[in-house]
Amino acid sequence: MRGQMIATAVVMACGLAMMIMARSLILSLEKTQEEYYARHRFADVFADLKRAPNALRARLAKIPGVAAVETRVVGNVTLELPGQREPADGLIHSLPEGRALQLHQLYLRRGRLPEAGSRGEVVVGEAFAQAHGFQPGHTIDGVIHGARQRLKIVGIALSPEFVFEARPGDTLPDNKRFGVFWMNERELAVAFELDGAFNNVLIDLAPGGVPRSVMAEVDRLLLPYGGLVAYGRRDHPSASRLEDEIRILGSISVAFPAVFLTIAAFMSSAVLSRLIRLQREQIAQLKAFGYSSRAVGVHYLKFAVVIVAGATLLGGTAGTLLGTAVVQVYHRFFKFPELFFHPHWAMIGVAFVVSALAAFAGVIGAVREAVRLPPAEAMRPEPPARYRVSLLERLGLSHLVSTSFRMALRNIERRPWQSAFTAFGLALATGIPIVPGAMRDGIGHLLSAQWDRAERQDVTIALREPGSATALAEMRSLPGVQLAEPFRSVPVRLRFEHRSRRLVVTGLPADAYLKQLLDASERAVALPPEGLLISAKLAEVLGAKPGDKLLVEVQEGRRPQLEVTLQATLTDYSGLLAYMEVGALRRLMREGETVSGAFLTVDHAHWDQFLAAVRIAPRIAALSIKNSVRKSFQTTTADMIGMITNIYFGFAFIVSFGVVYNSARIALSERNRELATLRVVGFTQREVAGVLLSELAVLTVIALPFGLVIGSQMAAGIIHTASTEAVRLPLVLTPATFAMAVVVVLVSSTFSFALVSRRIQHLDLVGVLKALD
Amino acid sequence: MQTGAIDASPPARADGAGAGEPLFRARDLTKVYASGAGEVRALDGIDLDLFGGEFVVLLGASGSGKSTLLNILGGLDIPNSGTLQYRDLDLTGADEAELTAYRRDSVGFVFQFYNLIPSLTSRENVELITDISRDPMTPEAALELVDLSDRLDHFPSQLSGGEQQRVAIARAIAKRPEVLLCDEPTGALDVRTGIHVLEAIERVNRELGTLTVVITHNAIIADMADRVIQLSDGHIIDTQRNPTRRAASTLAW
Repeated sequence: MRGQMIATAVVMACGLAMMIMARSLILSLEKTQEEYYARHRFADVFADLKRAPNALRARLAKIPGVAAVETRVVGNVTLELPGQREPADGLIHSLPEGRALQLHQLYLRRGRLPEAGSRGEVVVGEAFAQAHGFQPGHTIDGVIHGARQRLKIVGIALSPEFVFEARPGDTLPDNKRFGVFWMNERELAVAFELDGAFNNVLIDLAPGGVPRSVMAEVDRLLLPYGGLVAYGRRDHPSASRLEDEIRILGSISVAFPAVFLTIAAFMSSAVLSRLIRLQREQIAQLKAFGYSSRAVGVHYLKFAVVIVAGATLLGGTAGTLLGTAVVQVYHRFFKFPELFFHPHWAMIGVAFVVSALAAFAGVIGAVREAVRLPPAEAMRPEPPARYRVSLLERLGLSHLVSTSFRMALRNIERRPWQSAFTAFGLALATGIPIVPGAMRDGIGHLLSAQWDRAERQDVTIALREPGSATALAEMRSLPGVQLAEPFRSVPVRLRFEHRSRRLVVTGLPADAYLKQLLDASERAVALPPEGLLISAKLAEVLGAKPGDKLLVEVQEGRRPQLEVTLQATLTDYSGLLAYMEVGALRRLMREGETVSGAFLTVDHAHWDQFLAAVRIAPRIAALSIKNSVRKSFQTTTADMIGMITNIYFGFAFIVSFGVVYNSARIALSERNRELATLRVVGFTQREVAGVLLSELAVLTVIALPFGLVIGSQMAAGIIHTASTEAVRLPLVLTPATFAMAVVVVLVSSTFSFALVSRRIQHLDLVGVLKALD
Repeated sequence: MQTGAIDASPPARADGAGAGEPLFRARDLTKVYASGAGEVRALDGIDLDLFGGEFVVLLGASGSGKSTLLNILGGLDIPNSGTLQYRDLDLTGADEAELTAYRRDSVGFVFQFYNLIPSLTSRENVELITDISRDPMTPEAALELVDLSDRLDHFPSQLSGGEQQRVAIARAIAKRPEVLLCDEPTGALDVRTGIHVLEAIERVNRELGTLTVVITHNAIIADMADRVIQLSDGHIIDTQRNPTRRAASTLAW
């Protein structure tokens, strides 16, 4: 009885642990985010522009609904790092001199801010500094706007703008190759030829400020200064990633625990109804002594309370420990001054109540049955169990099955609900390990689809400013370049009906070879001469389908607007992307052979010369090397997937162990007399174990295929939930994943059964000769 | 608590009825159970020989030690001291595997509460044993012997108590054991049904020549036996040989 109560409590604790972990993580992230954003004044509205005089700042501040304005100079910096062949790049931001930042205030981890009037002093973002082991006092060589400069690190800092410190648009952080920096405003403005001007605006809304109207006014003011359209937190690369994560946690914190708690409720029901059947006589005596049915019922509900209290304690502890471990993983992705794990105490209380209700629901049926018996009847032994021939035999297949198998089938049919829940529990346990398996294979598929088939380049070069045919010729002539295909990227707002998204439309040659676009079945598709191809996710977000006309609002230059037909949707796994044939895009922009960058393949014999030439090329803003990106993606996700896999395998093991343990213990107790009789008439311990095992084996065989289906559905559900605008995973289910799930369940069930079957040694052979159940 | 069991008891040596070697040879069997603060000497120096084909009734009140003796004879329990030989097998020193093999091949058990497998029909209950026996009769033949040919495919819940007990007898004898041990076989039955069951046991003893040991507290059943052994406080206090065995059908209580 104690073992079974523990097994039930442990399964219940799994659900609670998951619920408490997820809710506590949500609480931790939300609380930390909220405090951080408030204390360091994260802006509500953001806008980039080419160049506006500082005088414009006062006009921006007067827009109704604006509480504070910060204007900055922001630009790219290319870095040469000792010991790293490939160049890194970053975003460098201005720090006002003689006053503190109004918005996006830095949290200085170490060191100090640049001194007023100093030259070459920078503050560097913590993630990049950690990745390279930089400390205040170190220097880095950088190229700012074509000018090489030695940068002296004086401080290491965090900003609410870079909680997710990654290159805007990147799926995962690559802290070795991307960093953020801050430098004195005057020095930076001079470097970017923006003295007395700014190219970036941050706005904090006053309470009651309407974002939409503020953004419209900002757009109007910035239009003459080459402004890109203003956007809010929803479109902010770091803020939206954090929001996505919180949303994913939110859905995990409900669905999974619900399943565990359901199984635990049935387990506690099975355990307690067995206990009640064994205690029929005592119940009758209590009632004969004058105890009310209610008092008897309350007595048995106390068992449920013990189970639930144990489960809550265990689940709370495990959830807190898991959460503390997962917070460590979050530290890699999300940079806060402090990210503590805050246990969600209220949620632990809710968990107790939820699981108590689940257990009570399970117990109440059995208690009701017990107290309904008139005392006199309950004091008589239970009537002999009624059996009938099983379905398989009625179908005329009895000759196929052995006697002990027949017993198993008939027992299963006699208690269909109990059997169904055992099978359901086992099916669930089979399903659980499929989730991490599918994630691992999904990532494998993503890597090969994205980086072997869709992207065939070695290197992607982004130009500082859109260039002409000459720029393309320059890139072609870099040492070692074998193939160069230009692309044009234009920031736009894509609108359909009332929904819209800020993104970049990429123009590619119709016969592009290095960048392939994949359709729903991942076959390469050619770009049509007119119209848009967009990510399937983007079509979903916009609610648009092929044939619909989308409004393209260009965010730069003269900001032309045009309706373009959505031709087809594409399969891709990160970001919201849109493509047009480059000629069509240029016609839309009314421009010549403009290029924004190029995809290149490079002869590896000339790799070093290539990198050296890129380093000094003034037009090149950023260089992305496919293999480096892929490697960094793999190492970052590998840890996370490893951890998820361990957690899920652990849960699968516990559930199948618990379910088998309880079923076997209940069967052993219910069939104690039968099994002991078999021992008396000469069955060996092994043969008796076989009889006991047959039933569980049949249920397991029934459960496994259902488990594979349930697991596939769970994996699909989780992958769908975790599929955000930033990252998506394909659902990939392989035989290896299914095999692993089956192995996990078989191993833990066998282990559990072996533990129970040891009790067969202790069957009371003498007792059965006399005792009547 | 008695001491000096052998000397204190009346002529306890029970001589065999038949000729030749006994099937069982028990000498100075003692079994002590811990009970609460003290201990209970359930068997206290039993000497006993049992021969093939015999019908033996063990009589005694509750707590006399008759069940303990039956359990030890059946290989379900081990004495604390003394020796017990079944043919060449030393049952006092046998390990778990030897005892299991002994029960499987040589002993048939009939219990007071039948102990049928509720999920199996009459035929299957017998089949369960014939499947693991070396030289069994068919389940149908065994059930024919207890007059249940018309109940082959009934489940225990569909049978009366007497019918269930007769299935139990069929199950016990289907493997053609040398020994049939019956523990209060009529204890849960009314007179008429009980007699029907005793007839079945009598027939097995007669037709198969199985050594049959029946324990009961019902002295009337003793009239069926070749030999009646009476136990009290762990001692054999009396052994009687019936000149003639009464047929079960003539009994009444």
